[in-house]
Amino acid sequence: MSLVERRPVCALRNVSKRFGSISACQDISIELFAGEAVALAGENGAGKSTTAKCLYGFHSPTTGHVEVDGREMTFRSPRDGEAAGIVMIPQELDLFPELSIVENMFMGQQRPRTRFGTFDWRAMKKTAREILARLGLRLDVSQPVHLLSAANCKLIEIARALNRNARVIIMDEPTAALTDREVRRLLSIVRDLKKNGVAIVYITHRLDEIFDVCDRIVVLRDGSLVDDGPVSDFTEGSLVKKMVGRPLESLFTHSPHPIGDVALEVVGLTSEPAFRDISFQVRKGEILGISGLIGAGRSELANALFGLRAYAAGTIAVNERRVRINSVADAFRLGIAYLPEERRSQGLILPFSIQHNITLASLKRFTRLGIVSERGEADFARKAATDFTVSGARIDAAVSVLSGGNQQKVLIAKTLARNPEIIILDEPTRGVDVGAKSEIYRIIDDLARRGCAVILISSELNEVLAMSDRILVMREGVAVRTFERSEFSPEAIGAAAAGQKVLSNVA
Amino acid sequence: MSLDAGSETRTVDFAADDVPQWRSILSWPAAPSIIFLVVATLGVGMVTDGFLTIANLRSILEQAVLISIVALAVNQVILSGEIDVSTGSLLAVCAFVFGNTANVVGGAWLPLLAALAAGGTVGLLNGFLSTYGRVPSIITTLGMLFILRGAVLLGGGAQVLNMAPESRIFGQGMIAGIPVTILIAACLFLVMEIVSRHIIWARNAIAIGGNESAARTLGLPIRKTRLIAFVLSGLCCGLAAAVFLGQIGQLQATAATGFELKVIAAVVLGGTSIRGGKGSNVSPVVGAVLVGVILNAMTLNRVPGTYELLVLGSLILGAVSFEGVRQKLLTRGH
Repeated sequence: MSLVERRPVCALRNVSKRFGSISACQDISIELFAGEAVALAGENGAGKSTTAKCLYGFHSPTTGHVEVDGREMTFRSPRDGEAAGIVMIPQELDLFPELSIVENMFMGQQRPRTRFGTFDWRAMKKTAREILARLGLRLDVSQPVHLLSAANCKLIEIARALNRNARVIIMDEPTAALTDREVRRLLSIVRDLKKNGVAIVYITHRLDEIFDVCDRIVVLRDGSLVDDGPVSDFTEGSLVKKMVGRPLESLFTHSPHPIGDVALEVVGLTSEPAFRDISFQVRKGEILGISGLIGAGRSELANALFGLRAYAAGTIAVNERRVRINSVADAFRLGIAYLPEERRSQGLILPFSIQHNITLASLKRFTRLGIVSERGEADFARKAATDFTVSGARIDAAVSVLSGGNQQKVLIAKTLARNPEIIILDEPTRGVDVGAKSEIYRIIDDLARRGCAVILISSELNEVLAMSDRILVMREGVAVRTFERSEFSPEAIGAAAAGQKVLSNVA
Repeated sequence: MSLDAGSETRTVDFAADDVPQWRSILSWPAAPSIIFLVVATLGVGMVTDGFLTIANLRSILEQAVLISIVALAVNQVILSGEIDVSTGSLLAVCAFVFGNTANVVGGAWLPLLAALAAGGTVGLLNGFLSTYGRVPSIITTLGMLFILRGAVLLGGGAQVLNMAPESRIFGQGMIAGIPVTILIAACLFLVMEIVSRHIIWARNAIAIGGNESAARTLGLPIRKTRLIAFVLSGLCCGLAAAVFLGQIGQLQATAATGFELKVIAAVVLGGTSIRGGKGSNVSPVVGAVLVGVILNAMTLNRVPGTYELLVLGSLILGAVSFEGVRQKLLTRGH
């Protein structure tokens, strides 16, 4: 390589993006060079995907700009980004399932024409086959993609990017749905792409992949860039520390609470393909944290415990009595409550008032002879709103006017209105500001002190570390290990979740 | 940028997804309906006198033509993930425009233009409200169904139009021994086939219906594509109106009531997914013929016309539930 200063293929210059009053990322500058893979690392909500979306034109930055070959660009849509050679491969499969491979590869793109002005399908298929061959794939390009495996679909997306002559490919969690073998294959393809001068932006939670395939690491935290340096500057431990960042002890409440009998015991619970052979206990007054990466099967486990997902094998015992949970009604009867991950789609009815949302699941309490007592309902809702410090609107206002944090508190109030004995909280503080977070932590602590068995599912390592009495780490559908409070450390739990130890044993 | 083909042998072998032949044939959307059509035709033919005659088959096809013309367009609307239920009333409106224009200026081509203009305008309105106006298309077109029928009843309630033979050329007459109506439908089918294979708009339409979020990530023009599908639906109602008036020769305000249901039945029976993103131009045509065969068989077997809706409704439900079962069979093992 010459000593001449390298020029970036593409760069973000002081990019900030605000959504209303919320700032998703501030003042981010990243340079991307040909043949180099850059890891975007950070916790959930650190601003990784917003940053990536600004880069390929899905969002236009509030301030700052994207530069390609030293020229300032204005992307109005992903099309503009693509025209400049920047292609995104999103986390969820973004293919057209019913359409053929070749169709998917040419969608939204200039297609070759014959001299009659019709599409030149023969040429298109030839190009498609050639690109697939480069990726080491031999497939019938006219078959619909819904017949392909998840791994091959991911490769089709890469092929699609190559067909656009991408110079920069952004991959968001490309290995989330892949098996170990397929991951290795994908990483070898990423290396090939680098060799051929493609710049890669690699977003992942799996630390081992970062160290395996990336050349540089950019660490984001709370929407700001906190570090940018070659991989050799980092160790797994130091990377985790940079991602997690500031001391947060003051934010959390963890008071001593007496731990009682076993409230919930799960043995060998299996629901393929999400999780298998999961066993654990939670006692009254105990907070069990469940940690792991996205796709580790945590939410699916919660769904199974709440009767939203069928399980094929294993047993569940509540208060030392064996039970079968087939429906939400079963779960309710057993005193199990669940705070879902997606509060907008799964938890709240947005146009309903705060009061009606709180009492929705427990109307029986205020009902006599089939008639709901409005006063009883309103009294209860008012008390709950005060207890859970819901602020921002009167209880008859639509819940949609509240901030994310207050919506979450309404949802918690609703979930607790039934006086559950076992409560499963799935990412209770996602998308919630710091103030509301600390109030939610206080509520969780309070629940445990009152003798509830609490299961806290969270991707935020700080949160599980500070709040839990024990932590169960899941990885790819398997319970890897349970940590006692004395064994807690971010490094150990991060490593167990990302699976370095486990991987190196297998390989 | 290029990658060297075969520069290195992959160390990790990827299992190629080998799809059995039968599975890829059966996953063709119109496959079951074609099988069903053949079985139904033969079955009915065996038990019904006078079914498998040239004259009867011709009359089935002529009846199916009208549904096919509109269904070919509505098929595109459904493929793009929307729906158009206004076609029955729109057909009546276009027929009135056609008939009244024909009464004033005579001939058939100018009235056809007028009918196309009327259909296209309403289609544009449907499309605009359903896309840029953010009204769900089921509501837009349901409202339009009532509004247009109301307009026809008000404007032409007492009128009974009788068409001069010269204005009926799109519904009667033969070219080279083949009925004009069948030729029109066949041409439209061919045009739609070419459009589907070779025009970006049609490729985008089926993609948008198949995965809207992916379409958004790719920056496909979602609203424009759907808008055009609605306009096409309106235009085809205009064309169908010319055929319709030509066939029956006179028009009343209640004409083509319930026609929109037959159209949707044809599209769904033919195997196009009501959720969008899956189907072909074969679907609406096969579906239309199937509806024709069944209605004809009922007539020949002296089943009272009052059973028509009952049978059509059961067919739609049957077709959609069958589709669910078929998908399960096809995706088993994945």
